[in-house]
Amino acid sequence: MKKIQCLLCFLLVGLSYSVFAAKLSYLLEPQKIADDTWLLQGKLEDFTRKNGGNIVNTAFIVTEDGVVVFDTGPSKRYGEAMRQVISSITDKPVVHVFNSHHHPDHFLGNQAFNDTKIWALPETGKLIAQHGNAFAENMYRLVGDWMRSTEVQLPTEPLDIAAVPLMAVGKHHFRFFKMVGHSGADLLMLDETTGVLFASDIVFYQRALTTPHTPSLSVWIENLEQLKNWQYNTIVPGHGPVDTTGLAVEQMIDYLHWLDNTLTAAASQGLSMNEVMALPIDERFSGISLTRSEFVRSVFHLYSRYEEASF
Amino acid sequence: MRFINVILCRVTLLLCFVVSPALHASDDPLQSPMWDYLRNVFLGDTPYQFDDRIVVSVPPFAEDPTQVPVTVDATGLSEKIEKIVVWADLNPIQHIYTYYPLKDVKPNVSLRIKVQQATPIRAAVLTKKGHWLIGTSYLDAAGGGCTTPSVANASPYWESHLGEISAKKFQREAFGRYKFKVVHPMDTGLVDAIPEFYLQQLELRDAQGDALVKMDLSQPVSENPVFSFDVTQPSAQHRLWLRDNNGNEFEQPL
Ligand SMILES: [Zn+2]
Repeated sequence: MKKIQCLLCFLLVGLSYSVFAAKLSYLLEPQKIADDTWLLQGKLEDFTRKNGGNIVNTAFIVTEDGVVVFDTGPSKRYGEAMRQVISSITDKPVVHVFNSHHHPDHFLGNQAFNDTKIWALPETGKLIAQHGNAFAENMYRLVGDWMRSTEVQLPTEPLDIAAVPLMAVGKHHFRFFKMVGHSGADLLMLDETTGVLFASDIVFYQRALTTPHTPSLSVWIENLEQLKNWQYNTIVPGHGPVDTTGLAVEQMIDYLHWLDNTLTAAASQGLSMNEVMALPIDERFSGISLTRSEFVRSVFHLYSRYEEASF
Repeated sequence: MRFINVILCRVTLLLCFVVSPALHASDDPLQSPMWDYLRNVFLGDTPYQFDDRIVVSVPPFAEDPTQVPVTVDATGLSEKIEKIVVWADLNPIQHIYTYYPLKDVKPNVSLRIKVQQATPIRAAVLTKKGHWLIGTSYLDAAGGGCTTPSVANASPYWESHLGEISAKKFQREAFGRYKFKVVHPMDTGLVDAIPEFYLQQLELRDAQGDALVKMDLSQPVSENPVFSFDVTQPSAQHRLWLRDNNGNEFEQPL
């Protein structure tokens, strides 16, 4: 009897492994967040082989004149899954795709949209051309087979905001803004028709923000202060849940101030990098996921600048 | 001699992988295949023990493999210290530095290093009584730090600023801390066509020229290194002296 049980166990384990191995599927679930507007919300996690890099928010708006896509996700497979979701909701073609910035989880799904115009800020296009392959390589290392066949597909249309601040597609009027706080070139898109602001990685919510390419925390804070004055009713952050209360931006500003003050104080006390990485994080941020690991990364990215300023 | 050492290291590194590492069980808590070999290189064939009082701090992951902070704190030891040898098992050049606390210092050193891949980091303390005590830590990394050209090499900034030192004194609880940055490319010699060019010696000296601390540095120390040392009594008379492998000397009051 025991023997049979064992055998059964083996069979089951074997079976579940093969099922798991065969089926890397993102299972994207579209959430309707406003008229014509759908969000594919990523997990509040870091890149893993389990989540396939689906930690990012992407979105699409279905207009009479076609579908507008904001960010394409971390892999070719994700881009294809996104297109499937879109075609399950509408027969309209995808007419415009936007890449918010040059981080890999936001543009590596571009291959699935190579029949459309792919817009990005001119700086973003340059940064993707420069660093895209290295980012893609890193993603293969982090999430593995989910990335299969993924290659860098450059944006095709440089978006000159000074010349084209506004774009009408069907009944929707999209206004574009350039900021720099998160990546050096961050595209934000406001749908004036629905009041939804696609805030790119300028806003994270309930998921710790990342700092590898920020020009400085104070610039990022300035950007957010500016954004507070705009007219919108819903924010779609680059990572984390949709916000209609304004709390997402408050949380960002609060955390960025705390981070800036903490690094400044640490440098003025002469702390070493490892000492800073071990500092306590204020309890008010304990509900935000990945705070400790992103704090450590931020110390890596930023502390030498604060040290430098203290000499 | 150092050069020969490096070559020797590389050759034996290869040998090490040929000879199966699983042949003898080692007492290394990290079970590194390099432990027995490197222990022999740096400690010789003498007794030693692992000791938690030597704290080697590294980040959980080397976000930037060219600037990984490593802090070695041996202030928990009651024994008097002759020297501390610090190395990374799986770097192409393993030795990072040897630190000699000569007088009026607290053995707590921070600097940043380049790593080529995930690796154990070791701090071996030789006590005045001749015992080797080992602190150890594991650093996770994706790699590339040693074979990435220095940023400096892409820009001629260092040529006009070589050896410039910025320094600052900090009063910590019951001691003082010096932190200083030296402009230097710290080229490892492992990158095509860029010869090795790095700081080899460092001394913290008092007004009489006597050293409080001596350090021998190796190529894995990061570009434009930032060092921090703890001393029992900071003084306006203290000076920093460094020399690189091309014979350039740099000196500055702290
Ligand atoms: Zn980003």
